[in-house]
Amino acid sequence: MQFRLNGEMRLIAATVLGAAVLVSPAHAEDIVLKMWTLDNNGYKEFIAEAAEAFKATHPNVTIEHQIFPGDPYKTALKVALVGSDGPDVFFNWSGDKAKQLVKDKLALDITDLGTAPGGFATVLPEGWLDAFRYDGRLYGAAIDAVSKYVFYDKAYFAEHNVVIPKTLGELGNLCKAIRKTDPDTIPMPLGNKTRWTAIHWMTMLNERAMGVAGTAADYDLTRPADQLYTDPGYAKAFQALVDLQDAGCFEDAPNATEYAIADSMFATRASPMEYCGTWCTSGLDAAGFTDYGFFRLPVMDGGKGSADANFLVPEGYQVSAKTAHPKEAVEWLSFLVSDQQGLKFAEKVQFLPSNTKLIDQAEGVSQSFKDIARDVGTLKQGVNVLDALLEATVADAYMNATVEVLNRTLTPEQAVTKIRDAAVAVQAKQ
Amino acid sequence: MNRPALPAGSLSASAMMAPALILVGVFILIPAVVAVVGSFFDFSMTSATWTFVGGANYRRAATDPLFWLAISNNIFIVVGSVITQVGGGAILAAILDRGIRRGSVVYRTIIFMPVVISSIAVAFVWMLILDPNVGPLNAVVKALGLSPPRLGWLGDPAISLWMLLLIAAWQNVGFQMMLILAGLQAIPKENYEAASLDGARGLKAFWYITLPGIRNVLVLATLITVIGGFKVFDLVFVTTGGGPANATQVLGTYTYTQAFSFGNMGYANAMAVVLLVTAALLGWLQVRLSRRA
Repeated sequence: MQFRLNGEMRLIAATVLGAAVLVSPAHAEDIVLKMWTLDNNGYKEFIAEAAEAFKATHPNVTIEHQIFPGDPYKTALKVALVGSDGPDVFFNWSGDKAKQLVKDKLALDITDLGTAPGGFATVLPEGWLDAFRYDGRLYGAAIDAVSKYVFYDKAYFAEHNVVIPKTLGELGNLCKAIRKTDPDTIPMPLGNKTRWTAIHWMTMLNERAMGVAGTAADYDLTRPADQLYTDPGYAKAFQALVDLQDAGCFEDAPNATEYAIADSMFATRASPMEYCGTWCTSGLDAAGFTDYGFFRLPVMDGGKGSADANFLVPEGYQVSAKTAHPKEAVEWLSFLVSDQQGLKFAEKVQFLPSNTKLIDQAEGVSQSFKDIARDVGTLKQGVNVLDALLEATVADAYMNATVEVLNRTLTPEQAVTKIRDAAVAVQAKQ
Repeated sequence: MNRPALPAGSLSASAMMAPALILVGVFILIPAVVAVVGSFFDFSMTSATWTFVGGANYRRAATDPLFWLAISNNIFIVVGSVITQVGGGAILAAILDRGIRRGSVVYRTIIFMPVVISSIAVAFVWMLILDPNVGPLNAVVKALGLSPPRLGWLGDPAISLWMLLLIAAWQNVGFQMMLILAGLQAIPKENYEAASLDGARGLKAFWYITLPGIRNVLVLATLITVIGGFKVFDLVFVTTGGGPANATQVLGTYTYTQAFSFGNMGYANAMAVVLLVTAALLGWLQVRLSRRA
């Protein structure tokens, strides 16, 4: 049977069809959100599955995910955000790096969208929101935090009747005892060739010497120039590092040792301890070494720090100020920090999620991860890492000074003078 | 009808040159001009506005001790590279040209091999060799009953620059050797025979026949090495990152640090201009000396 439309009928049919296309929700504008993150274990799978789940409520939104190694990412992100083809949503560290993007108006103020019903600000605790809060406005949402602990080989500790040290002095004595047992055993390799491992030590040693409150005004350069970095605690913190080095804790040439080599010494049980980040659990588990424990860096004898404070560096996502889809970008970001995705993030990436409501239900994660997550939950104060927190040139001066202290080409006092000079110069420019 | 040859030839020549000129323009000339202009401004990679600061970035370089340290490290690498690469290449070329009767092709291939390896790969291999914990060099030194450097080969500020020189020489000496060997082999044997009849042998023959014969090649090899020494970046960046504590900082790595770590793009541009002018002067010198030779 043939069915033909005359001219009028064709016009009416075309109009009806066109109108149907226009009003149909299935034909809402197709949106592609570009997302950039680091290349961490499990990140790709986590984002891919989350993007699929996000389609249930946002069928028109496609997530285009790109991953990068750490150092190239820092440069690539800046170039992309200034250009016209940058990501809509991107990973960033809290601290100076995020602050710089806010200052240069490259990160979007997402306070209104984030605090709307269902927004990330209604899910995350205030402490986590602070990670990306500048001048009272929200410029990102924390997804996870990195912490650091002294990991130790349980079997070695049991065999040698070692007890967990409570002070830095006891830690130094432990290193001496390990060296006495076998002079070739490096108690806790440092691997500071790229300078960031020792600055992590200094981050916590400063806290152990002066407390978080004692350093804050120096770190954000709000103290008067003549008082900047004048607290003797800074030299005391360097001295603590020197004392640990003298106790034989580290390898002979820490500034010439790659981090990967230092890390592998603990993973292969050649060394009984390592001061390592929470990211290490997945690597150790993957290497088949699971018989390890952990403890917070001990307090300093006579220091003003608190055992309840520990290294805690929040990381998260920001939205580009140039995105054409701010609403969808923030909805995607809010989805990623929801209860369910917080659980999936812990399972897939094995980092400490900002949303821990369902963490006890996590499957496939090691007991150590759960123990660390639980310990982080008991912290009263987080200590942000110096190389992310400080202004870039001050951070660089701090890292170089630490290298020189370890090399013994600077005394602790001389090192602090160099840092102070850098801080005063930066403050004068602000 | 005969068409004038010159216009047609110049048109086709221009057409053939165009792709290369466009590439040079887009990737070298325009960025160079932008760098020169940018060196008079203060801006970061992410800042929306550029602030004109006149010659402040150049004045800052003049008083920046790290800039001068980087320059002096570059000069150290240049002088050291000329000695190790051109000098070493000349010795190896002479041995292969006259001293070795059998297997010279095998030796030549082995010595030339590092030249074709990527600098990054070379840097990683040497980082492992020089590692103080698992590196074979420390093991060899200890086996000989000696003490390796306490701070490591790349961690000791007094040694690290020498190590970079060694790695650069290992990678590039083969290239210089091939250049000089080609020059040596282009000298007619009859010249040596005639000189020998006149009593000029050994050092005299080298001084009056070999050296003038390869003068042009030596000039070229030296200038290539000098320019390479000023431009060095990848080897330093990967092996030491300019450390320990800036001890091996060169102009290339310091420019990178200022631009991408500290966000001082204007200052980095000023240093890049200094490097550009140095390279251009050396290039001009190369052309002049080549013509004269």
